Amino acid sequence: MPSPRFPIPQGTLDMLILQILSLEPAHGYGIAQRLEQISRSVVQVNQGSLYPALHRLQQKGLLRAEWKESETGREAKFYSLTQAGRRQLAFEKNSWARLSGAVRLIFEEGSR
Amino acid sequence: MIQLWNWFRRGSLERGLDRELQYHFDRRVGDLTASGIPEPEARRRVAVELGLAQVREEVRDVWLTRWFRDFLYDLRFSARSFLRSPGFTAVTLLSLALGIGATTAIYSLVDQVILHALPIKDPARVVLVDWDGDHVAGGFGSWNLMSYPICRDLQQQSQFFDGVLCRAEIDVNLAAGGDPKPVAAEIVSGSYFPVLGVGPSLGRVLEAEDDGAPGAGAVVVLSYSFWQAQFGGALDVIGRKVLINNHPMTVVGVAAAGFGGVDVGAVPALWLPASMYAEALPGAEDLLSSPIRWMQILARLRPGVSPAQAQAGLQPWFKAWLPDNMLRPGFPMISADRRRDYLGSTLTLTSAPQGHAPLRRSLSEPLWVLFAATGVLLGLACLNVAGLFLARGSARGREIGTRLALGASQGRIGRQLLADSLVLAVAGGVLGAFAAPLAIRGLIAFLPQDLAASALRGTLSFRLLTFAFFASVAAGLLSGLAPALHAGGGTLISSLRERAGTGFGDVRLRKYIVTLQVAFSLILVIGAALFLRTLSSLLAKGPGFDTASLVSFSLEPRKNGYSAADSHRLIERIHDAVRALPVTRDSGIARNELLTGGSWRNEVTIQTDRRYTTDRGVDLNAVSPGFFSTLNVRLLAGRDFDQHDSRPAGEPDRPCAIVNEAFVKRYLTGRDALGVRIGVGSGPDVKPDVPVVGVVTDFNYRGLRAQTEQAFFPISSKNEDFGAAFYVKLRGTPEQAFQVIRGVVRNADPQLPILGLRTVEEQVTRSLNTERMLAALSGSFGALALLLSLIGLYGVMSFVVTRRTREIGIRLALGATGASAIRLILRDAVIMIATGIAIALPCAAALGKLVQSQLFGVTATDPATVAAAALVLATGALVAAFIPAWRASNVSPTDALRLE
Repeated sequence: MPSPRFPIPQGTLDMLILQILSLEPAHGYGIAQRLEQISRSVVQVNQGSLYPALHRLQQKGLLRAEWKESETGREAKFYSLTQAGRRQLAFEKNSWARLSGAVRLIFEEGSR
Repeated sequence: MIQLWNWFRRGSLERGLDRELQYHFDRRVGDLTASGIPEPEARRRVAVELGLAQVREEVRDVWLTRWFRDFLYDLRFSARSFLRSPGFTAVTLLSLALGIGATTAIYSLVDQVILHALPIKDPARVVLVDWDGDHVAGGFGSWNLMSYPICRDLQQQSQFFDGVLCRAEIDVNLAAGGDPKPVAAEIVSGSYFPVLGVGPSLGRVLEAEDDGAPGAGAVVVLSYSFWQAQFGGALDVIGRKVLINNHPMTVVGVAAAGFGGVDVGAVPALWLPASMYAEALPGAEDLLSSPIRWMQILARLRPGVSPAQAQAGLQPWFKAWLPDNMLRPGFPMISADRRRDYLGSTLTLTSAPQGHAPLRRSLSEPLWVLFAATGVLLGLACLNVAGLFLARGSARGREIGTRLALGASQGRIGRQLLADSLVLAVAGGVLGAFAAPLAIRGLIAFLPQDLAASALRGTLSFRLLTFAFFASVAAGLLSGLAPALHAGGGTLISSLRERAGTGFGDVRLRKYIVTLQVAFSLILVIGAALFLRTLSSLLAKGPGFDTASLVSFSLEPRKNGYSAADSHRLIERIHDAVRALPVTRDSGIARNELLTGGSWRNEVTIQTDRRYTTDRGVDLNAVSPGFFSTLNVRLLAGRDFDQHDSRPAGEPDRPCAIVNEAFVKRYLTGRDALGVRIGVGSGPDVKPDVPVVGVVTDFNYRGLRAQTEQAFFPISSKNEDFGAAFYVKLRGTPEQAFQVIRGVVRNADPQLPILGLRTVEEQVTRSLNTERMLAALSGSFGALALLLSLIGLYGVMSFVVTRRTREIGIRLALGATGASAIRLILRDAVIMIATGIAIALPCAAALGKLVQSQLFGVTATDPATVAAAALVLATGALVAAFIPAWRASNVSPTDALRLE
């Protein structure tokens, strides 16, 4: 059965994680659920690939992590944005907007 | 960096990841069961969804790049396997530590003496300005000597130079409150500190104003280390009055810490301006305007100007300068030929970021020779370790075969073996680096000068550690490469089929290695033999005079404020008192001390039936009556000087001279030397009117190697320099005599320092320091090399015997004798030894040319020496090979056959 959802484009996962965490700190499972909700099941994220991405962002200093009590009462690892993370997100949003704007222009040019 | 840190905390990282993933897993399962999926099904689905093992591995890759992680695991594996075989580890570790330690120690000296740039602003732009051609003008000092006026004139050449400085190293007597003590000083132009870009750490440095009219700048700047050592770093030292050669001068500053002048071999205690030359060098003529050469010139090039450009650009100016210089007062009269040579002179500029150091001139060649020797030694150590690795590799053949069979790539196995050798080499390097400072201090003790010993440091610097690190890694790669390539090259099936320890390829490779080792160590043994013969022939030859019970010391009254006449009177008085001592058998004085490496040197004009000039410098000295008899130097003809030859100041001397045998042989062959008239100098104005009254046998003046023409004059107040050197033949032991002599000098003038009071035998030993260093070090390197290669040979022969035990057992069972078994094994060894020697001999002959100048009494290819070295090596090697061979002959056939 062909999936109605398409796989997430290369490199955008990091940006989505940063965006989600810019709203509020969250743990890995929370981020997975939020991704699921926000993208309204259009984008397919492999749950497993979330964790390498989180650790990579943390190692780059874009995220910080701390262990806190979660909504279920168990300790969970909560990630939040650092200053550098915020800057990175702003930068990526900006370049994404320019890229998608450019792509749209080209498409409209072709369909006119 | 973070990655390395992650490696050390990987335990806690793993635990954190586990908890994190477990949380995700539990929450997801919980959510799914809540939506009605039964728990076992939910668990299965979540496990698939997450792919836990995969996630973990990917996160680990984030923590630590894959290859790096593998490499660290390799290192850990290597370290563990080494700890399991401590004997093997100790032997390899020690041989590497030895090689690396020795190389590092010698490199330290090479670096400090030869390579290290001065701690000044932008040293790369500093050049040494020297004269190529006939200077005509006389001089005093060490090398690259120039006059003060040319330095002044060069400073105007600002299109090439940012600045030009000149300097000379001198000794002065310094009194700061207490008795005067001799200290090393640098007398410099006012441009010295600004051009080098060195500032003060206290007060100010010397400036152009200090270097004005003669006597105008009675100021000194102390070196930082001298200030710390002698003044305890006192801040109120600025403005203090000190006495330099009994002249009051003011301390105006302390130079920047770490700056020790431009000569690594002579760190000055203080700097004084050239304007104070008359005080610093008592009795000197007008040095600021005369063409006398006594200083070295260093210049700072303008940015973007190369030494070659500046050199070419300066020549027109220099051509015009040369005739002007001839007009200076004090410029000698010269013949037309000489004048042409003089006017053909050119200036040369050589890059001199390391400053100017005579020490470098005398030591750089021995140091490079030793550095090359340690390089060979390190190479040998690596070969030894490579051999040991191969032996271990064949013992590990099954392990490696199994790993290959389980799917490890050959590259992966090779990497593991390389990691092995790197771990060892770096551990050996750490050991070596710890041992190096001790070795360096030992080396410095060998060096020829007291000054050198104080100027060179035996501490580990960052540069040195970097060097040791690279040496270790190179050693590791070198010793690991052959085994690693070999492990990668073997086929899987053959390695599994072979029984442990029977690799054939291994043996061939190990034989090559041992052959190379034999060659390397023969080169080192030949070198050691050459240097030992040099030292022993110099010692056997001696200085050509009798050193038994002979002591010497120097006095320099002119540096304590005495006039030339007073100085001579004081020396005469002290000499009379010394002669009257009961311990004195005989005594004499000379203007210049013997065997210090220097001399008073000039051409001599000879008048026989024609007039001619010596074709090279003659070593000159002024001596008292009795000087030759004190040294037991025989008078071959004529007479010694007597008290009528030198008169007190004011009265004319009775001119006379004594020459040595070599002088007669070179310049007066076939005629009676007595009555020939000579004169010092080579110009047309020189009057050869001094009659030769005696001829003495040859003895060494400058050093033990130099056999030169010599001429002597009676010592008087007119030809003394700063004072005189005393030579005293004793009746008793030197120790008692030292006390008495000190007393005599103190009686005459309690403030006069006694310089270098010691036995002449000690002076002979000192003058041979470089030779002794070369002999001792090359000897120990040779011995170590021999030991290493013998161990290597023994190892490979034992291995061969073990491998062929069965074959030998069968031969013995079939009736072969023990002797034939020995021959069988030894044949292998003899081939290796002979090949090694055959490789080494041409190499040694080629390298010999490089060390020829360091040798004495023996040529680099001296057949007897080379043969003796080869014999020593071959004998040792045969003994090392014989032990396993003898074991082979004792193989019991039944045991050998049962072995299978």
